[in-house]
Amino acid sequence: MVLVPRESDSADLIRVRDLTTRFYTEEGQINAVESINFTIQKGEIFGIVGESGSGKSVAALSLIDLIEEPGRIVGGEIWYRNPDLAEMVADATPDAVDGAYVDILQLSEGGRHALRGSTFSMIFQDPMSSFNPSVTVGEQIAEAVEVQRRASANPRSTRARTEDFSLVSFLLSSALPSRQFVTPDSKDRAIELLEQVGIPDPAKRAEEYPYEYSGGMLQRAMIAQALAGEPEILIADEPTTALDVTIQSQILQLLSELQDETGLSIVLISHNLGVISRICDRVGVMYAGELIEKGDLSDIHQSSVHPYTQGLLDSIPDFEHPESSLQPIPGNVPSLLDSEMGDGCYFADRCPKAMTTCREKPPEFTVDGDDDHTVQCYLAREAYDPAKALEDNIDSEEPDATASTMNREQLEHSPVEFDNE
Amino acid sequence: MGIYKFLLKRVLQGLFVIWGIVTVVFLLRFMTPGDPVSFVAPLDAPPALRAQIAEDLGLNQPLHIQYAEYLIGLVQGDMGYSYISNTDAGSRIFARLPATLELALMATLIAIIISIPLGIISAANRHEPSDYAATSFSLIGISTPNFWLGIMLILVFAETLGVLPSGQQAIGLVGALQMLIFEQNVSGLRAWGAHIILPAITLGTYFTALIMRLTRNGMLEELGKTYIRALRAKGLPETLVRYKHALRNTLIPIITILGLQLGTLIGGAVVTETVFAWPGLGRLVITSVLNRDWPLIQGTLIVIGVGFVVINIVVDSLYAYVNPKVGYE
Amino acid sequence: MAKIGVVLLISILLASIFAPFLALHDPTHQYSGESNNPPIGFGGETETATTEVVDGEVQTTVETVEQSPTMEHPLGTDALGRDMFSRLLFGARTSILVGLTATTLAATAGVVYGLTAGYYGGRIDDGMMRLADIMLAFPSLVLAVTLIGLYGTGSIRIPDPWVGLGLVDGMPESFVFPGTITVVIALVSWVWFARVARGEALSLRDEDYVRAARTAGASDWYLLRKHLLPNCLTPIIVLATVQVAVVILLESALAFLGFSGTQLSWGFDVAQGRDYLATSWWITTLPGMAILLTVVAINLIGDWFRDALDPDISGEEGGTGA
Repeated sequence: MVLVPRESDSADLIRVRDLTTRFYTEEGQINAVESINFTIQKGEIFGIVGESGSGKSVAALSLIDLIEEPGRIVGGEIWYRNPDLAEMVADATPDAVDGAYVDILQLSEGGRHALRGSTFSMIFQDPMSSFNPSVTVGEQIAEAVEVQRRASANPRSTRARTEDFSLVSFLLSSALPSRQFVTPDSKDRAIELLEQVGIPDPAKRAEEYPYEYSGGMLQRAMIAQALAGEPEILIADEPTTALDVTIQSQILQLLSELQDETGLSIVLISHNLGVISRICDRVGVMYAGELIEKGDLSDIHQSSVHPYTQGLLDSIPDFEHPESSLQPIPGNVPSLLDSEMGDGCYFADRCPKAMTTCREKPPEFTVDGDDDHTVQCYLAREAYDPAKALEDNIDSEEPDATASTMNREQLEHSPVEFDNE
Repeated sequence: MGIYKFLLKRVLQGLFVIWGIVTVVFLLRFMTPGDPVSFVAPLDAPPALRAQIAEDLGLNQPLHIQYAEYLIGLVQGDMGYSYISNTDAGSRIFARLPATLELALMATLIAIIISIPLGIISAANRHEPSDYAATSFSLIGISTPNFWLGIMLILVFAETLGVLPSGQQAIGLVGALQMLIFEQNVSGLRAWGAHIILPAITLGTYFTALIMRLTRNGMLEELGKTYIRALRAKGLPETLVRYKHALRNTLIPIITILGLQLGTLIGGAVVTETVFAWPGLGRLVITSVLNRDWPLIQGTLIVIGVGFVVINIVVDSLYAYVNPKVGYE
Repeated sequence: MAKIGVVLLISILLASIFAPFLALHDPTHQYSGESNNPPIGFGGETETATTEVVDGEVQTTVETVEQSPTMEHPLGTDALGRDMFSRLLFGARTSILVGLTATTLAATAGVVYGLTAGYYGGRIDDGMMRLADIMLAFPSLVLAVTLIGLYGTGSIRIPDPWVGLGLVDGMPESFVFPGTITVVIALVSWVWFARVARGEALSLRDEDYVRAARTAGASDWYLLRKHLLPNCLTPIIVLATVQVAVVILLESALAFLGFSGTQLSWGFDVAQGRDYLATSWWITTLPGMAILLTVVAINLIGDWFRDALDPDISGEEGGTGA
């Protein structure tokens, strides 16, 4: 699918088209991310929500090109708006350029590597395991500063701008303090960054090791590190899951403030729709490797179409109306093993409104003529008709009535948990 | 706990262990069958002569007096007189020490120079031919009996090819360096190198294989950790990801393992010295045991034991210093 | 790779159990006039030196002898005319038997010691581990050489069941089991087991289920046996596997140095052949390869166990001293 960018769309910083990432394991092929489409606009917070195993983290890692063996991005395009980069790579790889947009998946490995830190940066779920335990926090942030300082000193080079630190340079740097990778300037900048994310006494804390930090403080340091390269897009993969509830809101607040101050775009990934709702402008819902519904936060909250999205909303406790009960979604996330995935809608066997048409995979529909609100569900086109209900969904899986109830009870007692704040 | 307090605690523990070593070694003589006198006296010695010998060796005193005298002697650096050669045991032991130290250091040096790069290459090319070659080498290395390896090296390089001497130290390192400095003569150093190379390979092979294994497995484990992904996410050059971060964290625990394996190195030295007729401590252990030369047996065991304790204190302190997370617990 | 190890080890085990059936000759019988026979495929001319005392002076005569391998001795003979193939088979018995017995002894003693130290913790643990540190400060091989040198090389003669039942003829009636070195090897290697068992016990004693059982009034003995022992077995099994290899290396090194109670040992044969290295390389080479193969097989299985069970004992590899 070739994308023709229109001038009016210039707010799109990133356009992801048909992105597909698979893992080739011993058990078989796993379709972790299957042909997803979305855009990230400049200065927005885009949320991706889904259960664990729905492929949301893999989607994020695909963006920043950190998919590791045995995984591989097997198809799709990631168009990144950057006129300078487009001009630079236009001669070498004309196919990868379309106006001001560059398809980063067509860049060389070095070219993609150079985008890390400067265009994309990422923070992870558990800050304690995301820092090297035996190097001071300040030094690790200074490394991130240094990577970008060196890159901007040599901006015209399209090959890996940071790969020029060879083994020889490393050996020299171990022997001579003056040849070290991290310079005093970067260390000063690291302290400024720590201050920016609200760490008290940053000069002293920069000299400390990760184990001397609390979880919340370390997540702030992680954010400081991610800001070091002044990136355009910050990917936050479950940034609050490992933290205490009170710390969670502080971190979310910090992300929101930073977005306001610096105008960067944030991709926030969470299994918790409550967290997403707090700060996101637009939301995408992932299920079984697919982006099944996406739209503005208000679209998702008020006029969601996909029964899965509605299920997610029902599983948030509503403290204003405590009388309405929590509704867990019965069943579990399906296996992503290629051999076990059917042809129809992957949610059909858990769906209360599954119809015979759902045996065929639904295409992407727009909702109410709103181009920004799309959904992969036939309900966007036709209302639920009980007469066409899918025979083999959970309600009628077992012909025996008692067995069927039992089955359902079991399912309801092991609901997929959605953490709530 | 501060580093000084940690060091103090570790040194006190070490002193206790050293005291234990001395005591065990001292008591060993009283727990073994056979009268030391019969190994010293002529076979047809009359009882009077035997009594005289016992008197001379201080064997007539009660146990606690002998123990106290032995301890006092040790503190003053006196390990007693060899029963057989009637020379000072301490000076005989320390005369043998340099040969063993040179051998052990060369073996360690060879091991480190070969093993760490090999381990890194192996981890970086996991499941590729170079990895299989390196892991097979390490498997054979930790499985080869080193006395046999030494003999095979002699068979190939000394007997068959005739390119290297089959052992026996021609000149000590100190002597060779003196020749080099005062006489500008490299032949001493050459002879030293030619004689030490086969014994050092024999002693070092096990360690090369062991460190290679530990480096490979450690690197693979480190490279699979979450923080590596975070380092890559910030665009850090792969050289730094691998060597500044992963390798460093891999090598830190290896240091302590090597400290504990020091005993294996010394044990290996006994065998290697026997194979190559190397004039070190290892052979002294065997000859003095066979002769029941108690002051020499005790002295050698104490020197080896104390060396082990001291090196492990150094290693532990180093470990605590480079690994902040451990602190000085 | 583990499969290769299992096949190798099973072959070696079968060879050692059925050695009298597989052997072509009594491994201790000296065939006069058939000394230093080369293995099949390695015949050729060689120089033999004979020394005689003539008129009070030592005279050495060097003659060139044509050596021809015979089907009788497929792997040749040693300097005393003993059949190499048969000696290798019986040598496997010594290695395997000493390896298994010494490891079992060391593991039992070490686990009991380590569990006790780790379970009680505190001062008891401190004291017991300092004692273990003292043991650790003596290199296994040095300590073994000292103890065997001082206590002598005692051995036990075990009647060979196959010969006893009259199933085979012409084989030694009993097998010499080097008892002293087995005990001494156990004595110098229990510390490694104690360290691992203690580490496991330390981490397990604070587990909730152990605390719960203790609060419920379970006795120390019950807790040790029911909870701590089963849970520390995995790393102990992995360590024991590797330790069998270490013990076999140690036994062969001791036999090489002349500190063994038996002459049917691979290490002993390597030492025997040393003097004939220039002419009869096979006397040293073949037993060494037998040791190497056996230890490789056990290490392959050990690696497989380690990968499959994944305990973290990388620091406790044990000491070979060989």
